[in-house]
Amino acid sequence: MSEHDQTPDPARLAIFDSLVSSIADEMGATLRHTALSPNIKERADFSCAVFDAEGQLLAQAAHIPVHLGAMPESVRAVAKLAPWRPGDLAILNDPFLGGTHLPDVTMVSPVFAHGIAEPIGYVASRAHQADIGGMAPGSMPVAEELIQEGLVIPPLRLYRAGELVAEALELILRNVRTPDERRGDFAAQVAAQRLGERRVAALHDELGASAWPRHTVALLDHGERAARAALRELPRGRWTFADALDDDGHSDEPVPITVALTLEDGAAHFDFSGSAPQRAASINAVAPVTRSACYYVIRCLLPPETPTNAGLFRPISFTLPQGSVVAATPPVAVAAGNVETSQRIVDCVWGAFAQVLPERMPAASSGTMNNLTAGGLDPRTGGPWAYYETSGGGLGAGPQSAGLNAAHSHMTNTLNTPAEALELAYPLRVLENSIRRGSGGKGRHRGGDGLIRRTEFLADARVTLITERRVGRPWGASGGAEGRAGQNWLETSDGQSERELPGKIIISVKAGEAIRIETPGGGGWGSAV
Amino acid sequence: MGERRLLGVDVGGTFTDFVYVEGGRTRIAKRPSTPSDPGRAIVDGLRELGWAPTDVVHGSTVATNTLLTRTGAPTALITTRGFRDTLEIGRQARPDLYALHPTRPDPLVGEELRFEVAERVSAEGEIIEPLDEAQLAEVLDRIAASGVQSAAICFLFSFINPAHERQAAELARERSLSVSASHEVLPQHREYERTSTTVANAYLAPVMSSYLNRLERSLSEHAGAGEPIGLRIMQSNGGSLSASGAGEHAVRTVLSGPAGGVAGAFAAAVAAGHEQAITFDMGGTSADVSLCPGRLLERTDLTIEGMPIRTPAVDLHTVGAGGGSIAWFDAGGALRVGPQSAGADPGPAAYGRGEAPTVTDAHAVLGRLRPEQRLGGTIALDPQRAERALRSVAEPFGGDPARAAAAVIDVVNANMARALRVISVERGHDPARFTLVAFGGAGPLHACDLAEALGIPAALIPPSPGVLSASGMLSADVTRDAERGAHLAIAADADGGDANLEALQEVYEALREQARTAIADDGYREDVRIEYAADLRYRGQSHELTVGLPGYDSAAAIREAFQTAHEERFGFRDEARDVELVTARVKARARGHDQPPQADEPASGSAPSAESEHKVMWDRLGPTKFIDRAAIGELVEGPAVITQVDATTLVPPGWAARPLPSGALLLERC
Repeated sequence: MSEHDQTPDPARLAIFDSLVSSIADEMGATLRHTALSPNIKERADFSCAVFDAEGQLLAQAAHIPVHLGAMPESVRAVAKLAPWRPGDLAILNDPFLGGTHLPDVTMVSPVFAHGIAEPIGYVASRAHQADIGGMAPGSMPVAEELIQEGLVIPPLRLYRAGELVAEALELILRNVRTPDERRGDFAAQVAAQRLGERRVAALHDELGASAWPRHTVALLDHGERAARAALRELPRGRWTFADALDDDGHSDEPVPITVALTLEDGAAHFDFSGSAPQRAASINAVAPVTRSACYYVIRCLLPPETPTNAGLFRPISFTLPQGSVVAATPPVAVAAGNVETSQRIVDCVWGAFAQVLPERMPAASSGTMNNLTAGGLDPRTGGPWAYYETSGGGLGAGPQSAGLNAAHSHMTNTLNTPAEALELAYPLRVLENSIRRGSGGKGRHRGGDGLIRRTEFLADARVTLITERRVGRPWGASGGAEGRAGQNWLETSDGQSERELPGKIIISVKAGEAIRIETPGGGGWGSAV
Repeated sequence: MGERRLLGVDVGGTFTDFVYVEGGRTRIAKRPSTPSDPGRAIVDGLRELGWAPTDVVHGSTVATNTLLTRTGAPTALITTRGFRDTLEIGRQARPDLYALHPTRPDPLVGEELRFEVAERVSAEGEIIEPLDEAQLAEVLDRIAASGVQSAAICFLFSFINPAHERQAAELARERSLSVSASHEVLPQHREYERTSTTVANAYLAPVMSSYLNRLERSLSEHAGAGEPIGLRIMQSNGGSLSASGAGEHAVRTVLSGPAGGVAGAFAAAVAAGHEQAITFDMGGTSADVSLCPGRLLERTDLTIEGMPIRTPAVDLHTVGAGGGSIAWFDAGGALRVGPQSAGADPGPAAYGRGEAPTVTDAHAVLGRLRPEQRLGGTIALDPQRAERALRSVAEPFGGDPARAAAAVIDVVNANMARALRVISVERGHDPARFTLVAFGGAGPLHACDLAEALGIPAALIPPSPGVLSASGMLSADVTRDAERGAHLAIAADADGGDANLEALQEVYEALREQARTAIADDGYREDVRIEYAADLRYRGQSHELTVGLPGYDSAAAIREAFQTAHEERFGFRDEARDVELVTARVKARARGHDQPPQADEPASGSAPSAESEHKVMWDRLGPTKFIDRAAIGELVEGPAVITQVDATTLVPPGWAARPLPSGALLLERC
């Protein structure tokens, strides 16, 4: 008899969307404010999401695009742990079972409502932990096999009916370099989960058991309609684009990636056939990462108010060759697939759309996250430390204006660590944080400039660099020139000499030495006049 | 000294509001603003009204507008070697995750005016590289040659050891530069945020000083020879500051106007005996909400036009929902309201020029706003035009403009309820323990709906909801703040805590002296209250909570204050972990002006007939009383609509309105 027995009208729908989205936002705020590590707090390298009873994404707090298509996989992956009890909470990081790369630790928990035996939905949070063990501090090594990269956690219960499974936690903490920090960050993630569970249950109770599924179905249908409407505006046809990673960290051989984009009436298909077979290296991306990259580009083409939910993804389909760098299978390593290959996949898809919409699409951006991980023993405390930083570069110039200088692009938007926060926390000193003038590609509109970050080590450390566009360069669009390639340097303690480092390397750095990273500029747009 | 005549004056974008107290009587007025020279509207208005104040508290948009229009003083920046681009790099994030072509505003200081000098202080405060004075002299020469007269100086770790910054500032001041040094503007860690705030201050200070000097002179001339004028400016945090202080610390006034609103609403709540208040200000384009749990809350993470401004501000949350917010369907067919607004021009359809359906039009279609209610006393409201506009979004509602109008109100209420939830529930406060104080032109229209949505038991409408900011400025406390980054461990073991207790006491004593001296220089030596607070966190965390402290002589008490606040906000405490004091804060506070209750006289224009009855759509269409606010003697039971010149208050069925001795209206469920 009540309005809740019908499909929600356009106002109820907007209100429901706002309520669900605010739960994801609130989970994110809780995680960020209670976490310990700068990586989560200062850099905001995490995502939170709400799912319906079938594990379909209802809302995601927008922090990290690379988690877009990957969060639903984690909910699917924990399904085998059913039946659930209230208070259960699963943890995982296995890239082949719902994860992305090992440092991204995901928690998923079912939401129960009064008097209903089955979960009415799920909440999930994913946070990049600064270290999860393996052969190098920060767990982003230049590796060959997944097992070298760190501890692999298959989907398992961390809480059983509200009780901590202490053995599981102790096993994990014994395998990481900074267990106290991990314990704190896990606690923050659990706090975010519990809050999400309470809020979803309260929203469910407010609507009532019969109205809840009608609202979730309507919300997903709405997302689908919005996506199809936007896709229908685009020309139809088939376009291809190819780009490549510089190398896999073990040989100099480039790693090609190609995409064929097909646009039909209100639908898009991405075919990655012809991309390189997977390598015994860390540049392999698991399929969810590839899907995320494609969703991200589509999301950029949609109106900003479009909600982020599973409906949005329905008109989008894929052909992903199994065992390739865009759909890796065990046992290869994957750490860089998430952070570097994902950027190149975006470049490919971006390049395909640049042919469809030359008057809308900007040129290629820096195309790398310039990952630096480091760790060792802190002489001030005698304890271990692990640090992870990514650096932005130049953004591609667009049809209207130049590209931004020194900013993160596409699949990440994490903040830098302030020198004054970093030097208080680690035996490091930032010597320079500046814009790399002249590195953006020329054109009618200039590509953005990259940046230069010089970090001195005050104690001996193991350092891993995983960087890209050190050989290949960010391409220009509509006649614009390429941006400059990036460079990595090791400076000696006397400042008198330096040597260039390859794009991907693990090295021991002595106290007093400095690493200088110069990041790529963005491509230019239009011919220079 | 003769009798003091007090003026609170809030200069907004469209109107300048006056609240004048003379001989125990309060009067109010509104005049059009004069954006090219905001002071002219004040002085011309006073002349017209025949008012001659001796003491003026002023809410000024000068700082905000100067930032928005980029019309500040050309400014140079001097940084530690290697960091001149920090201002442009920021935190390297793009503002919008899914923008096809992200953009951000240019930094206030361009590349050509950003300079570096060799110097370095470590995280522990040791000087590891001396300041290169020769290089600094060269930089100052280049600044002089450029003709720029204002400079910001921001060196790394100056909040721990300001020696180099002091030295550089001194040398720069010797060259007659107007200098903002970061250890004076914002002595706290995180170099980008501190640089951005310091640069904004350097950019604003010369403009603000000259504006205030001009205004002081005109006011003094207007008051007649020999009469010294006490001119004070509203700060972003809801306390007022002397004109000279505001000239120096211009960046502390960027939220001047909205802060006056929050201060006024909280003062109205306290006067009515409701000290737990949520303030709700809804205007034409946006709504501001703020939680006041017995006091004004401050935040230090403000961003304006993409620029972090980290000086304390009232803890305001803004949402793009106002009377002019436009209703539309997104690509998936959901009904959205705002953030696009018809603003003042063309304005809602009902006011004759606009075409798009707005929140105001929805109220008109539902019969809650009547044709005889005039906008600013002049423009008549046209319900037929409003209905035509609503028809454009009525298709999914069976073509019924009234159902569409009700849906528009529901959606805009949900948007605002989300903002209220962010500031209350998400921070661990139960709205049921608060009173909603609604003001602004549209606030009283939505007060009961929002109270209902959040389980808030009562709503309060201040006497003149349209000029509340001006009156809030008048009664706001006079404050001076001093703060400093300290980074001291408050050890888990109380014995271990004693080591730092001495250092802590030293910091607080220095800050107390600084705040006392500043407020004494402003003319307040007696009845000054000192308040202590600290930004605290668990060691290892990198976000802090600002917590009020009873004092600073017990490490255990400081720990406990933080643990309690952390638990309230985030739901847990950790007895085992060290607590770290990141920033120490001291506030000197003196009482603002007392304000007698307001006279019952209309602001301008004539009141409509005292009482009438019309049909209004609530859950269903029903006869509803329309009553002039001045004519209310006792309890008014809903459904009713209470009208006054600058606002309309809805009393839905099931609610009742009661006038209080303070002049406010209290709305409660009956």
